[in-house]
Amino acid sequence: MHESFLSFLGENLQLFLTYTGFYNATPGHFIMIAIGLIFIFLAIKYEFEPMLLIPIGMGILIGNIPFKDAGLQIGIYEQGSVLNILYQGVTSGWYPPLIFLGIGAMTDFSALISNPKLLLIGAAAQFGIFGAYTLALQVGFEPNQAGAIGIIGGADGPTAIFLSSKLAPELMGAVAISAYSYMALVPIIQPPFMRLFTTKKERLIRMKPPRVVSSTEKIVFPIIGLLLTCFLVPSGLPLLGMLFFGNLLKESGVTRRLAETARGPLIDTITILLGVTVGASTQATQFLTFNSIKIFILGAISFVIATSAGVLFVKFFNLFLKNGNKINPLIGNAGVSAVPDSARISQVLGLEYDPTNYLLMHAMGPNVAGVIGSAVAAGILLGFLG
Amino acid sequence: MIIFLYKRMNMINKKTGWLLLFALLLSTGIQAQRTTSIRINEVLVINEDNFVDEYGKRNGWIEVFNTSAGTVNVAGCFLTDDPNNPKKYPIPKGDVLTKISPYQHALFWADGIASHGTFHVNFTLDPNKENYIAFYDSDGKTLIDEIVISAGQKPDVSYGRLIDGKDKWGILPKVTPSTNNLTLDTNEKIDNFKTNDSIGIGMTLTAMSVVFLGLILLYLIFKEIGIISIAAGKRRAKKAAGDENHEPGEISGDVLAAISTALFELDEDVHDIERTILTIQKVKRTYSPWSSKIYSLREYPRK
Repeated sequence: MHESFLSFLGENLQLFLTYTGFYNATPGHFIMIAIGLIFIFLAIKYEFEPMLLIPIGMGILIGNIPFKDAGLQIGIYEQGSVLNILYQGVTSGWYPPLIFLGIGAMTDFSALISNPKLLLIGAAAQFGIFGAYTLALQVGFEPNQAGAIGIIGGADGPTAIFLSSKLAPELMGAVAISAYSYMALVPIIQPPFMRLFTTKKERLIRMKPPRVVSSTEKIVFPIIGLLLTCFLVPSGLPLLGMLFFGNLLKESGVTRRLAETARGPLIDTITILLGVTVGASTQATQFLTFNSIKIFILGAISFVIATSAGVLFVKFFNLFLKNGNKINPLIGNAGVSAVPDSARISQVLGLEYDPTNYLLMHAMGPNVAGVIGSAVAAGILLGFLG
Repeated sequence: MIIFLYKRMNMINKKTGWLLLFALLLSTGIQAQRTTSIRINEVLVINEDNFVDEYGKRNGWIEVFNTSAGTVNVAGCFLTDDPNNPKKYPIPKGDVLTKISPYQHALFWADGIASHGTFHVNFTLDPNKENYIAFYDSDGKTLIDEIVISAGQKPDVSYGRLIDGKDKWGILPKVTPSTNNLTLDTNEKIDNFKTNDSIGIGMTLTAMSVVFLGLILLYLIFKEIGIISIAAGKRRAKKAAGDENHEPGEISGDVLAAISTALFELDEDVHDIERTILTIQKVKRTYSPWSSKIYSLREYPRK
């Protein structure tokens, strides 16, 4: 009786051991956990996009705790598990539009309205998307996968998740992690190329201060923006519709509570859920593939192309502008929609060459135009390849 | 008070009227997205060696297809083979199976035995003559789709839309009950890009043109809006300065009012006589943090 009880305990203990993470761990799990820890480190130590890297980093840890597949409904890919239910916002694509609602409610389009030609810089920077698309095709990805990879160049996490969940769900984890990583690394990636493509004289260009924009213009902007862009690219409706809706909540002046909810508690909640579930979706078995490495390389190239295209486009545009109306090419990088980090880089670099030349306000124009441009580009890709 | 209440009621009625109108339009739209998306998709008149129903019988059948991206419930709608009797077979309510998923099918057996279940209509298809088949909305009046199948159909060969839900009908190469008439085993769009744009230049040119077009249009519109806004701002500023209603050189009303007041005060001798001696006297106040301004004003962020 005593012996049988002891053997029962021993068997139970052995069974329990097979359930532990230590028993089920593979080298892949440890690699992914290391990546998650790097994300958390970068977020805390260097404050690189902490709002995104902390949830994603922690999500990577959560998603890479090894466990025995015993139908306990704990993994993110197990139907009905808590993580799986939260992950549906990503797979069904309804988190990104809600994030866009919040972005719209916190974005001030004044800089763009006061100087609408800055919109074109936001368009030029989208070359990053299609440059990466072209390269992805050359390295063997299918057109729909290439579209999902290319959108990394838009430097817009929610758009990248939205599009990749529609075009190539199998690549979504790698695309999202790549997009957010490079968005966090914008201060490192962009400056060398901004310096490379500009002369000292160009960096010193002073731009006219933006004029004061009336509230009527601010109200009209989201309405016309929505109608025009969505009539042109209806497939961009989920993102553009919510972006402009959020902005109208802000600018109408009569829905302050709704605007505050959209840009406050709502976007915070969705950011937490989106970050942690995207992080958790990068399970070693799904994520550690050669394709992920290729996606990371292509993502970096797409950021470089987007930055360079923005800067070079401003230089080209300046050929047609009169003296006094010229644009400082250091705001060209802000055409990627990493708001407001890329605009901040324009400011920092501008001040480096002229401590009295403040470019932030000007750079916010192409920066928010980049958000619109990347959403339009995503709509086009979805329309063609979806 | 009565007039105020009347006006208030009138306003409320107007508001209610508008709301009702919107609700009506909205409900019409919703209805339009529902049963109007249903199409008769495929018909098999002579079933000799084909699909068998749940009773093990072979009969002709009618397949309907939901062309919309939303689930459509066909319960309460009507199927008929008689143009004069649109309500011949009412599709029973209360059966969950009458909900047709987006881009999916439902199959109705034309065995003439409605008692066999929801999907067994009370008429049959006659192989020797033309067969008229129609699908009516739940009001029994709105015709949603109809088709006439010519006589002389071959056994076990179905007549249907060549592509599900699309207009063109013909003899189908294979019988496809409850599945797509045209089986797509590849993604046509992607194959097209793979064949014609393997480098991606076509996509880049097209997409960038669209992005630029969209943003150039926005630029042009907001350039014009900016010009209009600046002009309106100037007009408002001019109006506020009071320059609008009088000619240049004419004295404004404000100036005239000030002069009149001064003259009045002079006439009435109400203007006080000022001494021209300036005295500076130090006022001693004890400092207290409770009355300090810095604790009552909001500080701006330092960054």
